[in-house]
Amino acid sequence: MSVASTGAVLRKIGLGGITGNRTALLISLGLMALLLFVPLALPGYQTLFRTTLVFVALAYAWNMIGGYTGYVSFGNMVFFGLGTYCAALLSARGIDNLVADIALAVVVNAAFAAIIGFPVLRLKGHYFGIATLGTALAVTDIVGNLDVFGGTGGLAVKQVDEAHFAIYYYAAWLVAAGAIAITFFVARSKVGYAFVAIRENEDAAAVLGISATKYKILAWAISAAIAGAAGAVYARGNGFIDPSIAFAEDFNVYPIVMTLLGGTGTVAGPFVGALILSAVNETLGHTFLKLHSLFFGAVIVLVVLLLPRGLVWLIGLRGGVRTWVKSLQGYKA
Amino acid sequence: MNLRPLAALGIVALCASLAAPSAPVSAAGDTILFGSAVSLTGSLTKEGHLTQEGYEFWKTYTNAHGGIKVGGKTYKVDIKYYDDESKPATAASLAERLIDQDHVNFILGPYGSGTAFTVAQMVERKKIPMVEGNGAAEKIFSQGFKYTFAVLSPAKRYLEGVLDIGKHQKPAAQTVAITAASDSFSQEVAQGAAEWAAAHGIKVVYNNKYPETATDVSSIISALKATNPDIILNAGHLNDAVLVHKALKEQNVLAKMYGYSVGPDTPDFTNSLGKDANDVLGGAQWSDAVKYHGDPGFYSSAKDYAKAFEGAYHHRPDYHNAESTAACLAFQYAIQAAGSLDPEKVRDALAKLDKTTFFGILKFDSRGINVYKPMVVNQIQNGRLVTVYPPGLAEAKVKYPAPPWGQR
Amino acid sequence: MHLLAQDLVNGILAGGILAVVALGFSLVWGIMNIINLAHGAFVMLGAYVTWQLFTSFHLDPFLSLPISFVVLFVLGYLIQRFIINWVARAPVLTTFLLTFGLSLLVVNIALLIWTGDTRGVTTAYSGSNFTIGGITVPWAKLYTLIAALVITGVMYVWLHRSKTGRAIRATSMDIGAAQLAGVRVAQIYSIVFGLGAGLAGVAGTLVSLSYSLNPAMGQPFLIKGFVVCVLGGLGSVEGALVGGLTYGIVESFASQLDFSIGSQHISGAGLQDAVALVVLLVVLIFRPTGIMGRATA
Repeated sequence: MSVASTGAVLRKIGLGGITGNRTALLISLGLMALLLFVPLALPGYQTLFRTTLVFVALAYAWNMIGGYTGYVSFGNMVFFGLGTYCAALLSARGIDNLVADIALAVVVNAAFAAIIGFPVLRLKGHYFGIATLGTALAVTDIVGNLDVFGGTGGLAVKQVDEAHFAIYYYAAWLVAAGAIAITFFVARSKVGYAFVAIRENEDAAAVLGISATKYKILAWAISAAIAGAAGAVYARGNGFIDPSIAFAEDFNVYPIVMTLLGGTGTVAGPFVGALILSAVNETLGHTFLKLHSLFFGAVIVLVVLLLPRGLVWLIGLRGGVRTWVKSLQGYKA
Repeated sequence: MNLRPLAALGIVALCASLAAPSAPVSAAGDTILFGSAVSLTGSLTKEGHLTQEGYEFWKTYTNAHGGIKVGGKTYKVDIKYYDDESKPATAASLAERLIDQDHVNFILGPYGSGTAFTVAQMVERKKIPMVEGNGAAEKIFSQGFKYTFAVLSPAKRYLEGVLDIGKHQKPAAQTVAITAASDSFSQEVAQGAAEWAAAHGIKVVYNNKYPETATDVSSIISALKATNPDIILNAGHLNDAVLVHKALKEQNVLAKMYGYSVGPDTPDFTNSLGKDANDVLGGAQWSDAVKYHGDPGFYSSAKDYAKAFEGAYHHRPDYHNAESTAACLAFQYAIQAAGSLDPEKVRDALAKLDKTTFFGILKFDSRGINVYKPMVVNQIQNGRLVTVYPPGLAEAKVKYPAPPWGQR
Repeated sequence: MHLLAQDLVNGILAGGILAVVALGFSLVWGIMNIINLAHGAFVMLGAYVTWQLFTSFHLDPFLSLPISFVVLFVLGYLIQRFIINWVARAPVLTTFLLTFGLSLLVVNIALLIWTGDTRGVTTAYSGSNFTIGGITVPWAKLYTLIAALVITGVMYVWLHRSKTGRAIRATSMDIGAAQLAGVRVAQIYSIVFGLGAGLAGVAGTLVSLSYSLNPAMGQPFLIKGFVVCVLGGLGSVEGALVGGLTYGIVESFASQLDFSIGSQHISGAGLQDAVALVVLLVVLIFRPTGIMGRATA
């Protein structure tokens, strides 16, 4: 099944450009380039931006399985968490090499996703979501109870000294950039079309000769690999890992929120969403020392009501305010 | 109106705000600036506020009493706060900002062992001393950190006193059952208790953990009941201490002594449980009954501190307040001893510190934790918290054994 | 053996509350395809309503059941009518995100009203129990189970017999057909969400008898609610009950696992979540729509 004919079929059933909006993509790449200068220009914010980049990568990871393939995963944090422990366990054995960390995290998580994927990806919709959540919670429990992972006491992760510390920032940047690149190339490839076909109508896709099982597992393995790599880099940057840090709820929920905010199933969406959400969070933190959580909730509510299709969609909107207002009617009960 | 360029501009502007720093506060000529990330929101809100109160109380007192004299010059003190939302990763990021962006002189620790650990790592890299009063877990002090000092006693000590009381009764308590939440602090408390019991001839007949998010502990309590222990210990947090205590009553479990690591010292415990809270013992870092006589520079007795504190904040200070104030005092004495604000000199002065305060002795072992100060044990008697251990500091006799449920 | 029997009883009693927590959540999810992340926050509000009435007016918690139901029903109805209905037909993730934001709002407003102090509801009969055949049964937990059974029964009958109930079930099966039959979907949605919130409030009242109150208390119940819903079958009243009881019993028995392999202590109580989730996964493999679930997704 060639790219051209799959594309033709998809256009017939109403699906056009999958990469999203070019303006948004260019803005994102520009901002990514700017982010390279943070360790030099804003040293006091290095940790903050490093964490934001990790979230960018996680948003892309989620976007691959949830946005493009339509399998909404509520447990992607398990891959992130396992990635952090990959780095921590390597550190415990005296191997302190970022490349090794990332390589191990990618392999372990892709394999884990492939193995778990066989039973779990057979479930549909809500049940898939809960099964992923269940898997994540179960793994969190098991890791917290086994001494080899340091139990709830956790494991320290060896770091380089202050002079070289920026390396962890750039590693996070590379993982995020890699995630964007992978998403871009997958989206334009036969594989990407397969993912979208599965999302739109899995049965029809099967009729068209697309093996759903094979592509679903591939999507999840890619997703897991990205999340795992992000985890490994995060562990080194953080210097310490325990179950409450590695499997924190934030790493589960925020990537989903960010991708939704930016726009699911697009290339620029997760990045835009991640940056905006971090910016909002920070600004609120500065302005309202105690009430920022309250206003954060209010902001999310407003954004969902006003931009239910995400920001990237808004950027790509032709027609202005009236079209936008009309679009809101489509979701009304 | 085409929304596209507007939206694009909006995105870029918002992202720029991410980098826009708040007006950087640097140590002005005659102010010593401390920085602190505390949990003003999130799961540890209450404790974060108590920590902040302790810090602020010291700041107000010091500024009103001539500040701190360093090398002939008098300095005022100020503290810049950020909210770490009870998240360790956020706390570390905020510590970095306080040091690199706001240029604080020193760091006052956050609440909680998890947050204290990540901030300890950060200050170690930046070589800025931190004193904290609210993170007692071993892992903070087993990494070889040189820039973190804790004024409180280690986690493992929390329930040793309760066991010691039991050992000295006639007839002595023979057996103990331990339940603990699964987080690392509670696990350390439980481990310390189990080790002490084994070393002093008290048999551990039950030792189990439950998840922090447990909504029901009945079956653990049923299993515990079958072992018929003299002492029941719980290492957890307020939520599960209440859950465990209620379950003990529901399952008709009667022990001679109940000791909880967290709970009795918090008024919320007594408010939640009413009469059932009576006779429960709790390990605490401090109580206002202790009889230390503090060195000059601050309130010299616990009672004076408590009275002044209550006047300012309208509630009796609990040990979280006191240990936070003590952390500030450690800095004060160290800065004065060093005669300088240089981080290295102050760090060295902290390492050599040996002062007595209303809180107890402030002295750190080679790892940075205060092993020289004993824990106290409090008991709820008739709805009031009284100190019953150690014998030299006790204000009342311990009530032992605990009467049956319904007769408290 | 005797301990196992006690565990079974403990599990059933604990499962009763979980069933009520899951009931409202399951209805909203199954009927409207909305995952209400604010459900835990509603449970919390129900608990606080009970606490406030108990502290200010000495009203017994069981007597406050109808009040917390009504208060939360009204709140839920208004939220659906004026906020969620704007995006009710959006993909499930949109409402997921919206309820996430709402949850933050509700929890933080509660924090402002009641502060972060931990509260408790301890009645005169709290902790009182009776023993039958060597098994101890706490009265408060027994009343809670009875309340859970009654509520489930009432909901079941109402959904199957009453006009509104049938309209609700029709809407969940086929919106288009229901509309053609004259059902006003927006109104039905508001009622269902209100119902879900009201049931959460009731659950909160029952929970307040044994669990400490603070604004963040709803979280563990939300997570368990997720699992119980799917375990029993989405949108099914009987499913929530069966799922809740099953989960309670599994957790209870899991707590008895307590052994060591070498120096590694394996604690079933510590692994409660993992055990329950393994059960969930196993159930889903054999019955992909839950124990009592229907074939329609």
